[in-house]
Amino acid sequence: MKKIVLVITLIASLFASSLLAAEAPPAPADGSVPKYAKEYEPKSIENMFGGLYETTGIKALTSVDPDMTDSDGKKMSGFSQTGARIIMVLISFVLFYLAIAKGFEPLLLIPIGFGGLLANIPLAGIGDPDGFLGIIYSTGIENGLFPLLIFMGVGAMTDFGPLLANPKVALLGAAAQFGIFGTVIGAVALTQYTDIFNFSLQDAAAIGIIGGADGPTSIYVASMLSPDLLGAIAIAAYSYMALVPIIQPPIMRALTNDKERVVKMEQLRVVSKREKIIFPITVLTLVMLFLPDAAPLVGALTFGNFVRESGVAARLSDTLQNALINIVTIMLGLAVGSKLAAEKFLIAETLGILVLGLVAFALGTVAGVLMAKIMSKFSKEPINPLIGAAGVSAVPMAARVVNKEGLKYNQDNHLLMHAMGPNVAGVIGSAVAAGVLLSLF
Amino acid sequence: MEVNLVYEGFKFMVLGMSVVFSFLVIMVYALKLQAKIITKYFPDPVSPSSTNQRKTPAKNKSQDEVVAAITAAVMHHRKA
Repeated sequence: MKKIVLVITLIASLFASSLLAAEAPPAPADGSVPKYAKEYEPKSIENMFGGLYETTGIKALTSVDPDMTDSDGKKMSGFSQTGARIIMVLISFVLFYLAIAKGFEPLLLIPIGFGGLLANIPLAGIGDPDGFLGIIYSTGIENGLFPLLIFMGVGAMTDFGPLLANPKVALLGAAAQFGIFGTVIGAVALTQYTDIFNFSLQDAAAIGIIGGADGPTSIYVASMLSPDLLGAIAIAAYSYMALVPIIQPPIMRALTNDKERVVKMEQLRVVSKREKIIFPITVLTLVMLFLPDAAPLVGALTFGNFVRESGVAARLSDTLQNALINIVTIMLGLAVGSKLAAEKFLIAETLGILVLGLVAFALGTVAGVLMAKIMSKFSKEPINPLIGAAGVSAVPMAARVVNKEGLKYNQDNHLLMHAMGPNVAGVIGSAVAAGVLLSLF
Repeated sequence: MEVNLVYEGFKFMVLGMSVVFSFLVIMVYALKLQAKIITKYFPDPVSPSSTNQRKTPAKNKSQDEVVAAITAAVMHHRKA
């Protein structure tokens, strides 16, 4: 009964709207007519089949529509309508392969790859501002919301105990941020001395943050400073985070000798519960006093950590580190993937960003390891230089890589907990670096 | 006015690295101070809170934690 009433109301409202439409001039001011609202005209069966063919992907991928526009309303070139889309679909498949067969950051690469696939379906316009991926994008990425939510989850998942037990390893997390600033110079140098790339200082800063090895921070900064390059920056940041086990070990090996690699570190002291509770407050106070520009990122991180360590809000902590971060990761991944649209991604700048991102990562690792070597010269307690590599954030991947490398040279040298210290300090370090860069503009 | 981008970038680096380092150095000292104050004046109560009551005597506490840490490390290792 209810259904019938509903249907009748629906029909009535349709009539009403069509009447209204007949009275008022139908097209809204911006000229966008809803796709399915046009009046139906009788067609012959051949026309119908012909029309159906016109709306197939086969037609769209093989012929060029000179009036086709991208999601910004710019004219699209013939190549980006046809061949480039196919290339992007193949790139999505490569991301799937990396995620499924190689196990690289599957939680991110699966949604990103699928988002890329969806965004490259011709005619559907899923990545356009009014397509569903476009809507997700403008809801949470354009304004920097999702990265902050992820940061809350990261805070709730992170145990800062190893850093509290041995605070001086935070210096490694500071040194590794050299990758960020070195890459800023690299990006502007490319602009100044070549004609291929045209990065502004804002762009350069957003690209440099890739070296912080922190996906959410990268996305946050890029959404503030350089929204046009956000897609490529996010892809580079997450791909290199997934590639940490491949990028870092050769650098670590090149900068250390066998004797340094087998150094055993002392057992970390036990950190009291109260220290852990006070820690987020301490860090937030320091940010408040010295660098309020970093407060959104650090604030979200410390909130998550405070919920965790308070010990009385287990349900909230559980939600932050599971449900919330998972939901936001799905959204973030898909929305980032939607920036894999051919006309946005297959440009020279993307190539530059991918190369610079790799440089940023490598530089950060180099600086971290060198700093660890310097510290081990002056420190009373032994420091294994390998843990410097964990100073780039990429929690906990970088620390695991350090642990794995350490085990290779000494079967029972477990460096994981020692590497977690610089690792979590790196998260704070890159948030601070992001705050510095944001404060400059 | 033509800006020398590389020079600007260099200034960013000097500023950025000094801020990051000074922030983390300040943090290191703040954490050391915090650890000193807390371990001296506010040590964790000997018997942990009621939600977390241990049946084993207090002297085994540190050993328990070592075992827990080792287990966690082994789990991490296997996952990695």
